[in-house]
Amino acid sequence: MYHGPRVGRFPHRRTAHRAPSADQTNAVSPYYRTKLRGLYTTAKADAEAECNILRKALDKIAEIKSLLEERRIAAKIAGLYNDSEPPRKTMRRGVLMTLLQQSAMTLPLWIGKPGDKPPPLCGAIPASGDYVAKPGDKVAARVKAVDGDEQWILAEVVSYSHATNKYEVDDIDEEGKERHTLSRRRIIPLPQWKANPETDPEALFQKEQLVLALYPQTTCFYRALIHTPPQRPQDDYSVLFEDTSYADGYSPPLNVAQRYVVACKEPKKK
Amino acid sequence: MSELKDCPLQFHDFKSVDHLKVCPRYTAVLARSEDDGIGIEELDTLQLELETLLSSASRRLRVLEAETQILTDWQDKKGDRRFMKMGRDHELGAPPKHGKPKKQKLEGKAGHGPGPGPGRPKSKNLQPKIQEYEFTDDPIDVPRIPKNDAPNRFWASVEPYCADITNEEIPPLGKHYSQRWAQEDLLEEQKDGARAAAVADKKKGLMGPLTELDTKDVDALLKKSEAQHEQPEDGCPFGALTQRLLQALVEENIISPMEDSPIPDMSGKESVADGASTSPRNQNKPFSVPHTKSLESRIKEELIAQGLLESEDRPAEDSEDEVLAELRKRQAELKALSAHNRTKKHDLLRLAKEEVSRQELRQRVRMADNEVMDAFRKIMAARQKKRTPTKKEKDQAWKTLKERESILKLLDG
Repeated sequence: MYHGPRVGRFPHRRTAHRAPSADQTNAVSPYYRTKLRGLYTTAKADAEAECNILRKALDKIAEIKSLLEERRIAAKIAGLYNDSEPPRKTMRRGVLMTLLQQSAMTLPLWIGKPGDKPPPLCGAIPASGDYVAKPGDKVAARVKAVDGDEQWILAEVVSYSHATNKYEVDDIDEEGKERHTLSRRRIIPLPQWKANPETDPEALFQKEQLVLALYPQTTCFYRALIHTPPQRPQDDYSVLFEDTSYADGYSPPLNVAQRYVVACKEPKKK
Repeated sequence: MSELKDCPLQFHDFKSVDHLKVCPRYTAVLARSEDDGIGIEELDTLQLELETLLSSASRRLRVLEAETQILTDWQDKKGDRRFMKMGRDHELGAPPKHGKPKKQKLEGKAGHGPGPGPGRPKSKNLQPKIQEYEFTDDPIDVPRIPKNDAPNRFWASVEPYCADITNEEIPPLGKHYSQRWAQEDLLEEQKDGARAAAVADKKKGLMGPLTELDTKDVDALLKKSEAQHEQPEDGCPFGALTQRLLQALVEENIISPMEDSPIPDMSGKESVADGASTSPRNQNKPFSVPHTKSLESRIKEELIAQGLLESEDRPAEDSEDEVLAELRKRQAELKALSAHNRTKKHDLLRLAKEEVSRQELRQRVRMADNEVMDAFRKIMAARQKKRTPTKKEKDQAWKTLKERESILKLLDG
């Protein structure tokens, strides 16, 4: 089904590139410069072709995934109307966590073409002002608990009402919990792409920045300071959560995936 | 040929992604035949692997583009100092101080670098952004400021009026055109007379003296006639009546016989008096005016007695008088005007002469200025050489200064 790029071709090309660089004393002569230029042009074309094919493959995967997602949402909606079997009420913690982790891992990596800027909702880039989260999108939602406490929870958008400007969201944990209806200000959409530290470092949160991060093994967001941003695309942020139980007020560095780190807008600690 | 160290290229080593190690699932999938599909569960891993591949390929692409760009520009603009900076690692936030904000190119290295710095990614990061290349020495010509030509043109137009005057430009006053014309007419008549005489076959000898007459004599004659201001311009000493009488009696003859009789004398004079004939003889003593006057009055009395001439007490007819009066008026005007013109011309001439002398003075002042400047320069040079100017130089300087002052005084005075 998939035909990858011709891998065999590349090593050959690259050794050809290496030839002039190895013999640097002659490399700067005009003859070699022109030759190098020619080789570079060919290499460029090859790289571009490779990129295109890879992008196509990734697009296909994204397509498949979105289809799966649609199916899931449809099933969920159907399941709600169908009271016969209770929806997976109490998912085992472990299963949930694995799901979350997987979701974080398979968040698509943004690899822009030369000259492309990372779009909104890529890494730390915020959403545009009029962005409306789509059903199925994951968000951080500020909900008021029964005892009056406000907490940022990981939730999934069910719907958005343009009339009232309010989102309906479901807690990711235990779909049996009641649906929350919240205004836009209480909803922060989670990033839809990972930022590539190698190409778009400006789309990452920097050290010492205040963020809301998902506490590991929970489904709640807490305030934290970035300790170190990821170095490689698959790496996580290392963050310090605000924690009064520690001497300096901060927890030791904990890893949180890019997916679950958003900008913190709260002016002060709740 | 530039030195190796000048070469801005980096000659990256493109490490290929080892598919087996980094992308095992991918390799495995590729190894399968087309019939074996890909399981859904494999999608995630595949996605990750593909992303890795794509990111490395993009990186390679960017580096290649950067290198080619450098190569191209290097070949186009050899020896440009900018290239020494290119290809070296720079902070993103440190643009060179050029007119246009120039974005730097970051050359990444193939390996990993340390984490990004606070706020600004360090250049050691992999995969720099390829940024626009802008030449700071802009070949666009600064639009030529349209030269303000107006003052130049103005001064050019005024120039003829302000320039120094030269002696050639002052024309001599010259004679009044009437005199000139009279002079010319007399000469002409002379010539005619000479020709006629030759034709009439008179004694050439007689003509001799006549032909010898030249402008000088004509001038003298004319002047004579002017001097006698009581007489009309053509200078006849005799009264009008006398003239007319004799004219009637004597046949007009351009060639008057040179006889030693008063009548030929008179006729000679008369022919002059007529103005048309020009056979003046050599200078004769002018008749004394009173004599002619008495002759005139006697003739008048006689004519009146004879009844030939009516009393002159009769006033002239009105119509004639009007025209005459008008003519006289115009003549008076003309006289006044010509007198005015004459005075003006005299004034101008005087002023021009004065101006010429002043110009000379000014020229001298300029020369004196130059001398003063020379003396000054000498003193300055002496001072520069750290030696005091010699007495001679000082004296010279003072002398030139005093000269200049004196000339200026003359000028102002």
